[in-house]
Amino acid sequence: MRQERVHVMAGNAFAISDAQGDVEGDPTAPTGLFSWDTRFLAHWVLRIDGERLQALSRDDVTYFETRFFLVPGTASHYVDADVSVIRHRSLNDSFNERLIVLNHSPEPAELTVRMEIGTDFADIADVTKPGSVRDRRVEVVPDSQLRQLRLRYRRERFGREAVVTSTEPVEVDERGMTFRAQIEPHGQWETDLHVGMTVRGEGDRDMRADLATHRLHVHRDMREDLRGWLERAPTLVTDNNSLQGTYQRSLVDLAALRYEPLSSLERMPVGGLPWAMSLYGRDALVTCLQTLPFTPELAPVVLRLLALLQGGQLDDTYEEEPGKILAELRYGEAAAFGHEPTTMYYGAADTTPLFVILLDEYERWSGDTDLVRELRHPARLALDWIDEYGDSLGDGYVRYQRRNRHQGLVNQCWKDSAEAITDRDGRQPEAPRATCEVQGYAYAAKLRGARLARQVWGDPEYGDRLEREAAQLKQRFNTDFWLADRQYYALALGPDGAPVDALTSNLGHLLWSGIVPAERAGALAEHLLGPDLLSGWGVRTLAAGQRVYNPVGSHLGAVWPWDNAIVASGLRRYHFDAEAARIADGMFAMAARIGGPAPEVIAGYPRTLTKYPVQLPIAGHPQAWSSGGLLMLLATVLGLRPCGDDLLVRPALPAGLGQIELLDIPGKWGRSDAYGRDRADGVPTRRPGLS
Amino acid sequence: MTTPAAKLIGRLESGRHPDLPESTSGTVRLDLREDGRTEHWHLTIADQQVRVDQRGDDADLVLRADRAVFDRIATGALHPAAALGRNDLTVHGDIRLFMMLRRLFPGPPNARHPREAADSTPARAGAANSGPAAGSQR
Repeated sequence: MRQERVHVMAGNAFAISDAQGDVEGDPTAPTGLFSWDTRFLAHWVLRIDGERLQALSRDDVTYFETRFFLVPGTASHYVDADVSVIRHRSLNDSFNERLIVLNHSPEPAELTVRMEIGTDFADIADVTKPGSVRDRRVEVVPDSQLRQLRLRYRRERFGREAVVTSTEPVEVDERGMTFRAQIEPHGQWETDLHVGMTVRGEGDRDMRADLATHRLHVHRDMREDLRGWLERAPTLVTDNNSLQGTYQRSLVDLAALRYEPLSSLERMPVGGLPWAMSLYGRDALVTCLQTLPFTPELAPVVLRLLALLQGGQLDDTYEEEPGKILAELRYGEAAAFGHEPTTMYYGAADTTPLFVILLDEYERWSGDTDLVRELRHPARLALDWIDEYGDSLGDGYVRYQRRNRHQGLVNQCWKDSAEAITDRDGRQPEAPRATCEVQGYAYAAKLRGARLARQVWGDPEYGDRLEREAAQLKQRFNTDFWLADRQYYALALGPDGAPVDALTSNLGHLLWSGIVPAERAGALAEHLLGPDLLSGWGVRTLAAGQRVYNPVGSHLGAVWPWDNAIVASGLRRYHFDAEAARIADGMFAMAARIGGPAPEVIAGYPRTLTKYPVQLPIAGHPQAWSSGGLLMLLATVLGLRPCGDDLLVRPALPAGLGQIELLDIPGKWGRSDAYGRDRADGVPTRRPGLS
Repeated sequence: MTTPAAKLIGRLESGRHPDLPESTSGTVRLDLREDGRTEHWHLTIADQQVRVDQRGDDADLVLRADRAVFDRIATGALHPAAALGRNDLTVHGDIRLFMMLRRLFPGPPNARHPREAADSTPARAGAANSGPAAGSQR
């Protein structure tokens, strides 16, 4: 049976151990201490008199701090130890562990406390793709005088170093540290272990020390910082304990997932633990869109940073084009030496329109026209990209086709697994592919760009042009993608224009974008809420009943909370209030049943079959866009929408949610409150024309 | 002197750079090391234009590397961000200017426009996709 894993996290650093706090080198699991995509500790095992410890209990104080309460010896039916150990672990810029050994006996104790220490300096990409593991020569320098163990890796000028130091005298050897602890009767002994992590720059200094952005970073008291984050967010008042728990947890998870990229003074969300602890353009943009009513401070940071990193030239390796918005950025060895194209990877067809959508949506909430003016140039480049580079066949659709044929992503949309874009029978179209949701985003980006052009940039002619193009796109799309016999939109078009006919959750993204004419929305709502797509917890990525359906396939049947948040929002946009409430209800139930951070994805099994949301081993948590998705679902059932200088509230709550109040919602109105109460019999269902 | 880096620096001075936001301004110094000597180039960026002087004055951003590294960046053989990641190039000061300046470096010589890539793809000629199927990395 696999052991429970315990994590602490801060910025893009994280440490994952077992329930005792130990880490045992596993090249194929993301366990250990990671920072800047590098594993700085791969082995970290505590022994007392040669014995491993077992956990009595644990206090996960907060996301960056955990206390393990342990006793020596293997698990037995009865524990009556003379000695117990507290490991108090915290993570900020460095990894810290205070070891406290307690002697419970009336006699003095003399104990050997041993910490086994080692690392492999693996890149997180090596862990993702077993088989690509490099054999790295790690230089180890023990120094008992300095109470220090240095672990160092060099490859040409590239260098990473972990320095473990102890506050107590210690014998240091190449494989760890040994303490001779003499403890009074009923006394205690302690030491602080500190693990510093260096990213080598000029002259062996940490490269961050030479950056102005880094020097301006304030060293934060992390507890104070978390308190401030929670205080700035709206207050939820509800008798529903599980909803309250979900709300608080989502806010804390989002706090945990903030980091400061090298080029930024402020923090923005990483994708999630453990596979995406870096900047992912899509995840960051989506998270900001989801959280504008709650934590709007993330959006300007993400917009500025993505504008700074916007594509500048054509580059096949990195799939870069002028104006394109970044997909992924990594700092590790795999990126630096080109084993992965991730030093600045642009393989995404949707990030660029999403950038424009977020800029507009952020202004609608915040009224921050200064930022819209500041980012006029990158927004124009992004809008130009849609037609110049996105539309690679000249037929008016944004498409993708990898130019990096060995390392690039086959599917450069959110469903980015290699088999995700398929028809009902499993046939995959040739490239370049035009997936439907990207056309919806492009349509929305043009309309939103038009609004910004008129209202902020003082360029009504440009606004007219964009609106004209949006109208043409909508018309074209509704002809070419619509499957009249099936009454839904094709998932994609191949290069020859042939529709890819799988029934998928992407329909909800089309509703969200507004590209769907009102008379077709009812058919989409029926599909989305039908038994093939809706699992009971949420809408599946791909509907059951098709040949390729697989409930544990990431994009072939599993259920993603972020996807469901977009679907629910799309349904409300077309006034399918009860349908949106049903999806929110399933997702809130999922979050409550799981109890911890919302995972990125759950299996697509019918809820009636499993009774419990089944988590996939590949699914990380916390994940920014999952936690953000739960907040977006709350905003959706409350019907929060900025309108001019006011906040509109139009609640349509799932039955059983009771009365909820969301107080101090930030926006251009200052702070405003929202109230909602469910109807005992649920929200009335609007029956669309179709049925 | 006609190394690729020198040619690129010379080219920076000619004309407007519409890729740069109008609001970008600042000074950058390039320190090119070779044979124990360091050559300084000083760039002043404003209004989408770059002024180049050969002097060692302070700047908002200092980029330091061997001439050979600058040459590889200047020919598009080495991505500036990869050079930074390898510590072949070091950055002092405002790294945001580096991310902006990156746009003025040429990409690799054989890079294709997506339309070109679409025209030449075997798929369009009726053949099957080749190459390993790279999926999500998470």
